[in-house]
Amino acid sequence: MERREFLQLLGIFSGAAILPGCGDDRSASKLVSYLVPPDEGVLPGEARYLPSTCCECPAGCGLTVRVREDRAVKLEGRPGHPVNDGGLCMRGQAALWRLYHPERLRHPLRRDADGQFQPVSWDEALTLVVEGLRQARQQGRANLLLSGRTTGTLAELQQHFCQQLEVEQLPQFEPFSHAALRQAYGILFAQPEVPHYRIDQSDLLLSLGADLFETFVSPVNYARQLSRAIKQDDFQWIHAEPHYSLTGANAGERLILLPGSEAALLCFLLVRLDAADERNRLPMQLMAALPASSLEETARLTGLPKRRLEQLAKQLRLAERPLLIVGGIATSQPQGLQVALLAGLLQQRLGMVGNRVDFSQAEAYASVGSLHDLERLTERLEQDQVGVLLVSATDPLVQAPAALDLKQKFQRAGLRVGLCDLFNESAQQFDLLLPLSHPLESWGDAVPRRGVFSLLKPAIAPLYDSRSAGEILLEILQRVGQQVQNQSYQEYLFNTWQQRFDQQQLQQFSEQGFLSLPVSAVPHQFRPEAVSSQLATTQAATATAPHLILTPSIRSFDGRSSCLPLLSELPDPLSTVSYGRWLSMAPTAARKLQLRDRDLVRISSGDWSAELPVRLQPGLAATVLMVQGDLLSEAPLPTDARSGELIRRLDGVRLTKLGGAVALAILSGSSSQQGRGLIPDPVHTQEQPLEQTRFYRAHPHKDYRWAMAIDLELCIGCGACAAACYVENNVPVVGQQDHLQGREMSWLRLAPFYDDAGRASFIPMLCQHCHNAPCEPVCPVYAAYHNAEGLNVQVYQRCVGTRYCSNNCPYKVRRFNWWQHQRQAPLEQMLNPDLSVRDRGVMEKCTFCVQRIRQARDRAQDEQRPIRDGEVLTACGQSCPTGAIVFGNLLDESSAVYRLAHSHRAYRVFADLGTEPSIYYLRKG
Amino acid sequence: MNRLILIVILVLLVGFPAAALFLLYNLPFDNRDPAPVQPIAFQHTVHAGKMQLPCTFCHRYVERARQAGIPSLSLCMSCHRSIATEREEIKKLTSFFEAGQPVYWSRVHQLPDFIYFSHKRHIKGGVLCATCHGEVAQMEVVHQVRSLEMGWCLACHRDRGAPTDCTTCHK
Repeated sequence: MERREFLQLLGIFSGAAILPGCGDDRSASKLVSYLVPPDEGVLPGEARYLPSTCCECPAGCGLTVRVREDRAVKLEGRPGHPVNDGGLCMRGQAALWRLYHPERLRHPLRRDADGQFQPVSWDEALTLVVEGLRQARQQGRANLLLSGRTTGTLAELQQHFCQQLEVEQLPQFEPFSHAALRQAYGILFAQPEVPHYRIDQSDLLLSLGADLFETFVSPVNYARQLSRAIKQDDFQWIHAEPHYSLTGANAGERLILLPGSEAALLCFLLVRLDAADERNRLPMQLMAALPASSLEETARLTGLPKRRLEQLAKQLRLAERPLLIVGGIATSQPQGLQVALLAGLLQQRLGMVGNRVDFSQAEAYASVGSLHDLERLTERLEQDQVGVLLVSATDPLVQAPAALDLKQKFQRAGLRVGLCDLFNESAQQFDLLLPLSHPLESWGDAVPRRGVFSLLKPAIAPLYDSRSAGEILLEILQRVGQQVQNQSYQEYLFNTWQQRFDQQQLQQFSEQGFLSLPVSAVPHQFRPEAVSSQLATTQAATATAPHLILTPSIRSFDGRSSCLPLLSELPDPLSTVSYGRWLSMAPTAARKLQLRDRDLVRISSGDWSAELPVRLQPGLAATVLMVQGDLLSEAPLPTDARSGELIRRLDGVRLTKLGGAVALAILSGSSSQQGRGLIPDPVHTQEQPLEQTRFYRAHPHKDYRWAMAIDLELCIGCGACAAACYVENNVPVVGQQDHLQGREMSWLRLAPFYDDAGRASFIPMLCQHCHNAPCEPVCPVYAAYHNAEGLNVQVYQRCVGTRYCSNNCPYKVRRFNWWQHQRQAPLEQMLNPDLSVRDRGVMEKCTFCVQRIRQARDRAQDEQRPIRDGEVLTACGQSCPTGAIVFGNLLDESSAVYRLAHSHRAYRVFADLGTEPSIYYLRKG
Repeated sequence: MNRLILIVILVLLVGFPAAALFLLYNLPFDNRDPAPVQPIAFQHTVHAGKMQLPCTFCHRYVERARQAGIPSLSLCMSCHRSIATEREEIKKLTSFFEAGQPVYWSRVHQLPDFIYFSHKRHIKGGVLCATCHGEVAQMEVVHQVRSLEMGWCLACHRDRGAPTDCTTCHK
C-alpha cells in the first residue's frame, strides 16, 4: 500500500468513526396537539399519582402508580394502606414488567383445526364460549370455572355468573393455599380461615416454618409490623425451621430443627406450658391424647439442646403477649395438619386467640381450595365429565404438582378457555384465549382481609385489545340475557360500592384508594373435643436423611412471577444466585463430598432425578438440601392426604457428585466479610480510628448536604430497594451472560455476610457519595465531580468510559455499560422520562435519585420555602418494607437523617480510608 | 530529513485530530430545518401580533408545568367555529378537528432528551418568552433564533445567578 493511500484510508475511517456520534434523534421532532385538553390538574410532562392495588401475589398491597403521559412508569407502596403502609416488595416493583411484557396476548386467539392459534374478535370469542357452555349442558357435561384467589366484587360476580349459567365454581387454586392452617382453625375454633397475626402487639414471637418475609400470606405487612415490634426494647423473636430462609436469617434467634420435628416441639411446649399454670388448662382428655413428650425424647427428635428447649418453654411462659405463627414449610409436610392443630392449641392456651391471632380480620382465603380439589378435577377430566373449563388468572398447568399429570388430562375437557395475560407455554394448551387486562388497566377492587377494601382504578388505557375478568364475565352474562344490557363492569362496580359504602366512605375509597371498615369481633368457640381424634396420629416419624426441602421463593413467589425479567436479574438474597437453578447445601456436607460452588450433582428420589449445580449455604443443617420449589417443579412431591397441601420435602434422597461444574451466576464475591468490618463486630468498634491526613479541600455546603442513614437493625435483606432502584433509574436488565461475566448493572446490591455460626447479616451497598470521593480525582474528563449539595455526580455526557473511577472505588458500586442495552418492545414504555438512558461505554451509579431531589426543589421553589425533611424519598427508601432507609439533609439538625447519623450506632463503611461517605449505617444493638 | 519526518508525524498526530474536532464542532451537522413547514400555516403574527393575545392564552401550561403545551384543537375551534371559517388553513383545522385527528406540528425548538428543562421555572424566574424564542409575534414562519446550546444557556445562568450545577439540567 502506498503511503498516500494509507493516509487517505486513515482519514476516511477516522471520519467514519466520528460521524455516527453526530446526528441526533429526529424521531421526536413532532409536537402532537391535544384534541380536547385533559382534566384540570393533568399537566403535560408532569407525573400523576394514582391509587391501585398490587395483584402480583395474593397479599393485596396498596399501590401508588406514577403515570407520565399515559404510561405507568413506577409502582410504589401506598402510605397508610392497611396492608403495606408504603412498603412494596421486589415482586410488586417488578409487576410493571407484566404490564409491558413482550409476550402479552394482544387480542383473543382461537385454536383452529390444525392446532394453530388464529386471532378472532371478542364477539366471535364470546359467542364461542356461550355456545360451548350451551352444548356442554346439552351433552350433560359439567362446565367449570377455576380461578386463582379472587376477592371483592369480582368474587361476587363470579358466583353470580356461575349460578346464572349453571357453571360450577371450583374452589380457587393457590399453590400456597394454607389449607392445613385453615383446616386446623376450622376444627379448633370453627373458623376455617387464615387469621390476621398482630406481630406488633406481641412481646415474643415464635415463628415455626412460616416464611414471613418471603411468601407467607402478607410479607410486606409482616415486615412492617416486625419493624415496629423490633423498635420495642423487650421484643424477642425466635424462628425455628429445618432449612434456611430469609425470615430465619433475620430472626433474633434461629433454631435449627430436624426436618419433620415441628409437631414434637409443639407437643413438648404444649405439655410444659399447660402444666405450668393452673388457670385455663386444656381438657384432660385432650392432653391425654397427646403423645408422651419427655424432654429427652423431644431433644432427640428436634435436635435442639435440652437446655434450649426448657428455656424456650420458660420464655413463652414469661412473655406477657406471646405470639406463635406456624406455616410455610412447617405445614407443608406429612404432619402439617398436626403442626397446625398443636399450634392452634398453644395459641388458645397462651391466650393469643381473639387478639394477636385475630379472626375478625381474617385474611380472605376462605374460598381457596386445596390440592384435593385439583385431584377431583383431574378425576372428572379423566372421566370426560368436563365440558367448558374456564381458567381465570391462574396457572394450574405449571403449578399443580407433577404427580397429578394435569397437563395431559387437561386435554380432555370439551372446550378449554383461558383468561390469561401472557402467551406462554401453558397458555398454548387452551383452545380459546381471552386476553386479560393488567390490573393497572382495569377497574376493580380487592378485599385482602376482612374490613380492608383496596381500589383498582385504571392508571393507563389498555395497551391491547384486552379486557378484565370482570368485563368478560359480565359480557357473557349479558349475552345470555342474564344481566342488564349495556351495563359496563365499571358501572357494575360503582353500583356495588354505592350499596356497600355510604357517601363519605365512597369518597374516601376513591380518593385514598383504600378503606378500612370496622369489623365486628368474631366469637370463636374453642372445640377441644374435635381435636383429640385428629391428634391421635401425632407421632414423630424420624425421616431418613438427607432431606430435600423445596422452599418458597421471595423472587418468584410460587413460580408465578418467574416470567418477569427483573426477578431473574435480582439475586436471591441468601445465595446471591441470579440466573439459573441451584441446590443449596451446607458447607460441611459439601466438604465431605469434596464439592465446591457450581459443582454439578445429581439428586434423585425413586426414579426421579435432576442435575443441579451446588451452592454452599452457610448455616444450613448438614442433612438438609434446599432448592427453590418453582425451579424444580418436576420433583415428585406427594400431596398430604389430610390437609391437601403439597408436601414440600423429600426424605432419603440420593446425592451423587457428577464431576465438572456449570456456569452459575453467583453475584456475591465472598460469603464472609474477610475481617474488613463492613458490618462491624465488637472487635472493630474497639479499634482506634486512624489519624487522617487531608489531601483535598473540604467541600463547602450552603443549604443542603444530602445524606442517607441505613439501619441494619431493620434491614431484612429482602431486595425491595434494589428492585425499586432498577425501575426508578432505568437500570438495564442485562441477562445471564453478562451476569456470568460479572457485569451486572444493579446500582444497589445487598450483600449477605455470614459469620462462623452461619448467621447472616445484610448490608445494602450503593454509591456512598463520599465527601472525599476516590472516583473524582482520577476521572480525566471531570465526569465524576462533587456538587455543592454533597452529591457525587456522574455526568454521562462527559464520560468517555476509562473506568478509572470504578477501579478506584473502594466500595465497588460503579457500573459500566458494556453494551447499548436493548429493551424489547414495549418494555421501553416503562422508562422513567425524568432521567436519561445511558449509552454504551458510559459509567453509571446511584445518583441519590437526583431527579426526585430536583422535583422536590421545584415544588419547594413554587412555594418559596426550603425542602422539608422527608420530602425527598429515594426510590429505595420509599420501597423498603421496614423503613430502614432514611434520606435527608445533614445540615438540618432537626432532620431524621441528622439524628440517625449522630446515633451511637452510626458508623461509615471503611471510615479509615478517609473517604467520608454520606451514607451512615446503623449497626445492630 | 529526519527532522522533516518528525514534523510531518507531529502534524499528523496533533493536527489531524485537531482538524477533525474543529470540523466536528463547526461544520453544520445540524441539518434540521430552522423554520420547518407546519401542517397548518398558523400565523403568530395575527394571533400574538395583531390580536395581541398573550402567549399563555394558547400555551397554557407554561406557568404551571415543564412543558409550555401547544393548544388543544378544541381551544382553536372555540374561536374558529365562527371566525375566519372561509380561509383555507382554517378549513384544514376544522377537518382535523372533525376527523378527531391531532395535528402533528413540526418542532422548532428542541433540546436533547438528556436535558431537564422547565418552562415554569424560567417564567417564574422572570425570563421573558422572547429571551429564548425571539419575537415570535413578528415571525411569519416561526424559526429558531437562539442556538440553545449549553454555552448559551450557561451564559444566561451565570448572568442571572441561576444554578450552574450539572445536575440542574443534565438528567
